[in-house]
Amino acid sequence: MVQDVHLQVLPGEHVAVIGGNGSGKTSLLRAIMGLHKEWAGQILLDGKKVSTKPSAAHPGVAWMPQRQPRGQFPFTVRELLSAGGHEQAALNAARGLDIHDLLHRPLAALSGGQLQRSYLARALGMLSAGAGLLLADEPTAALDFSGQEQVAQLIVALPATMIVVTHDLALAKKCQRVLQMAQGRIREMTL
Amino acid sequence: MNFTDFMSLMSLPPIQRGFLALIISGLGLPLVGVFIVGLNIYPLRFTIMHVALLAVALGQVFGMDPLLLALGLCALTGRVLASFADRPAGAPGAMGFFMVVAIALAFLVLSLGGVNANAAFELLWGSILAVRPVEVLFLCVISLTLLSLFFWKRRHLALLLYDREMAWCSGVPIRGLTIALYVLIAVAIAGAIRLTGALLVDAVTILPALAARNIGNNLTSIAIWAVIFGLFGNLAGFIIAVFLDQPLGPVLVLTAGCITLASYAYNALKGNHA
Repeated sequence: MVQDVHLQVLPGEHVAVIGGNGSGKTSLLRAIMGLHKEWAGQILLDGKKVSTKPSAAHPGVAWMPQRQPRGQFPFTVRELLSAGGHEQAALNAARGLDIHDLLHRPLAALSGGQLQRSYLARALGMLSAGAGLLLADEPTAALDFSGQEQVAQLIVALPATMIVVTHDLALAKKCQRVLQMAQGRIREMTL
Repeated sequence: MNFTDFMSLMSLPPIQRGFLALIISGLGLPLVGVFIVGLNIYPLRFTIMHVALLAVALGQVFGMDPLLLALGLCALTGRVLASFADRPAGAPGAMGFFMVVAIALAFLVLSLGGVNANAAFELLWGSILAVRPVEVLFLCVISLTLLSLFFWKRRHLALLLYDREMAWCSGVPIRGLTIALYVLIAVAIAGAIRLTGALLVDAVTILPALAARNIGNNLTSIAIWAVIFGLFGNLAGFIIAVFLDQPLGPVLVLTAGCITLASYAYNALKGNHA
């Protein structure tokens, strides 16, 4: 459970959130996304309150989840990249992330690292389409060492506001601000 | 039966209407199956069948058109059930509730109305030769609506069926789409019950979708294969039933079942897992 969190992220700022398993990092991201229906307080994005109503249009947030493939049908990388955001930008990102030859492969058939790269390519497509905030949940998890470095370099070079939840201290160090979560509470720290 | 007998049989208006209804439903109703499988809401069809039975009972007692009543009541049920889709446990619990309440009410209505229950229970096994022109027209409208919705919103649908939360975060209007899907599924099932009967309506909905899932590699190709299988199954089932002089409903189901089994065998031979 996340409690007593007051967090302000400035435009263009890169914020890393670190903490142990179950400390509330992913819950924080989900609350910002509007995916938690039960919460008290306010979450404002560009001054507008984030809605949790499925009928409301969701604000422009690019989400890079840490998520296993779901669904009853095969869902290909190409479908993922074209289902939201700027498709061509996502395809270009896929090329840069070395997953361009996987476009016709279902997400369920990808390795953990390939899946992370696919979600990142999609998030980059959404940023190109005008999303103002990138929320990345463990973006370098499941990647090999060179992959971790490649994705970290790519993320921190983005001219976008972002909150990155990570266990990767090398990635956290590259961000302008590091926050630590423990038992649902948040505090600033220096690495 | 030889070919000449078959052609003379095909010149009869009820047979022509039934044949046309099967072709039309083969084009549109497999998409209902694709949506049911994709949303993982298999119990919905049982709920709709029971609500349709209640509508027929009400129609008998109050002297109203059972088809119109069934369409209205099933559409309303679909709309109500769609509002449960966002709950963590989903809608299956509500589907079970509506199912038992509908059948209980149907029995009560029949008993209180003092009408012959046989006509209501004919719904269970259908009668394609009794399909009226208005029902063929309805199938045409619902099939066109399903096909249009699919090709208009296929990217949003693919994301919604894959991951509801991700669809919401991508700006997909998940509430509106979910309501549209639930209502369309409910109305289509209610309209298709006449063809094969409530007990066998899966032949024209779920089975083509299950077979297509073994062949297609994304939502669009699965939908196209489902329509191909649905159309082929309906045509083959119709011809087999006529030539063997057997009831159409069971023959349709067995034909669709054979296609589905063949798709699983194909999948196993390919080394994939369904």
